[in-house]
Amino acid sequence: MAILSDQVKRQLQDRFAEHLSGPVQLTLYTRPGSGRLILPSGLGCATCDDARQLVEELQEAAPDLVHLRVVDVSAEDSDVTEVPTLTVAFPGEEPRIRWQGLPAGYEFATVVDAVERVSSGAHGLADASLDALARLTEPVDVMVFATPT
Amino acid sequence: MSLANRMALASPNVNARTIEASEFPDLSRRFGVQGVPRTVVNEQGAFVGALPEAQFVAAVLELAGVSGGGEEEEEDATQA
Repeated sequence: MAILSDQVKRQLQDRFAEHLSGPVQLTLYTRPGSGRLILPSGLGCATCDDARQLVEELQEAAPDLVHLRVVDVSAEDSDVTEVPTLTVAFPGEEPRIRWQGLPAGYEFATVVDAVERVSSGAHGLADASLDALARLTEPVDVMVFATPT
Repeated sequence: MSLANRMALASPNVNARTIEASEFPDLSRRFGVQGVPRTVVNEQGAFVGALPEAQFVAAVLELAGVSGGGEEEEEDATQA
């Protein structure tokens, strides 16, 4: 059964048709087959199946520009161990934007916005923010804990 | 898109990770998540709440040890 309604899928298609200007690479790290089994920490993945379906439906809204790679961390070598993890990046670039956990609710809207902004390169930050970021000389890791509301 | 993500899009030195707190309780406990959004920088300093752009950028830079980053109050990111 689809996660997104037909109405939301049409809205996504319309948004992407208007806002996407370049290709975007999505990569979903998952551990398939866990379903909703409750397993000890590190073994199961209660949201991987839903995450995969959600991201596939997102990709289908603009299949010419949004590319999806699904990585089974139990079968492939991967630096990513926490699943589900979704990254959004320019094709060929190392991802710097990622979600850990099912990006549902409000977070789904932020994923859609990220796809659009990465596609166009439009970060939308003020000049003062860019001046401040220019002072960074070392990598900075920013984790934002959120809830799916 | 969150400010952290927009910063990552604008700067190759920023890596942004949004974590669904309830799905990763071990991580949430480790970084003392009691309210969201909780932003943790370099696994060291943290602040809670949604901030306007200028304050958010300043707080992240301050916690990253960049001089002139800002004057946001910070706290230890991890819980003993």
